[in-house]
Amino acid sequence: MPELPELNPVIHGKLRLALLSLLSGVDEAEFTWLRGKTGSTDGNLGAQLTKLEEAGYVSVEKRFVMRKPQTLYRMTEAGRAALTEYVGALKQLLGAAI
Amino acid sequence: MTDEMDGKDLAERVRLIESMMTEGRRACESWGWTFVLWGVAYYVAFFWVAWGHFAYAWPVTVIAAGLLTAAGFMRKDCTHPNTTLGRAIGSIWIATGLSMFILFEALGFSGHMRDARIFLACAPAMLGLANVACGLALKWRAELACGLVWWTAAVIACFGSPNAAVDAFLAAIFLCQIVFGIYAMILESRRRKQNGAAHA
Repeated sequence: MPELPELNPVIHGKLRLALLSLLSGVDEAEFTWLRGKTGSTDGNLGAQLTKLEEAGYVSVEKRFVMRKPQTLYRMTEAGRAALTEYVGALKQLLGAAI
Repeated sequence: MTDEMDGKDLAERVRLIESMMTEGRRACESWGWTFVLWGVAYYVAFFWVAWGHFAYAWPVTVIAAGLLTAAGFMRKDCTHPNTTLGRAIGSIWIATGLSMFILFEALGFSGHMRDARIFLACAPAMLGLANVACGLALKWRAELACGLVWWTAAVIACFGSPNAAVDAFLAAIFLCQIVFGIYAMILESRRRKQNGAAHA
């Protein structure tokens, strides 16, 4: 029997997985948009995004638009590769579970 | 880690990925009103020319419609970030609009737009190109059909009588700008009603 793959623990958290999935479909996203889509609190969302940033899966850009601060998050190539790998591992595990 | 997980937990993760990806790709931009606006602008410019002010009718109307379009997008309440597809569609229309503006202004001011058929063939051909490109990108048959209508108008302008060329152009504006724009607005309104927040 082939060895089952390990799931990336950084991505496996539900909120982090949701964030990476959301970011995979857009160029970049504001903190407030991510909060609205995930229904998460500011604190939790900020903490999970920091973890993703530390892992190199998202990049952050802070800027001012019409004097209002804006925090933008972008998925990195490493993040895209990690999500692809995670989905592949998930498929393999699901295949084994069925 | 995998030992602790059952198939249900894994399937839940897959559903989460799918729903969030769909949510991310979901567009909330409104394009329908721009079709109607430009349809009305084409009619205004066309009848303005017929009224005898050829030199200024198209530049003034096109610039006014362009400014109104830009203003409309600036005050949009859509906070959805840009998607690659949305950017591609926008690029097609901006490039088409600029090409038409540059070409027809150059032809007009250089004095080479003596035969109205040049305009009645080229404008629909370019609009057909934009519609078909967007229709293929979006896999949207209604927009593909609009492209075919525009191309038909372009061919009629080449082979038909002058009156037939004008009629085909006006009919294409009505079908592909006004009717299609209203149809797109109805679809966008339905989509907005259906869209609820999908929480992780």
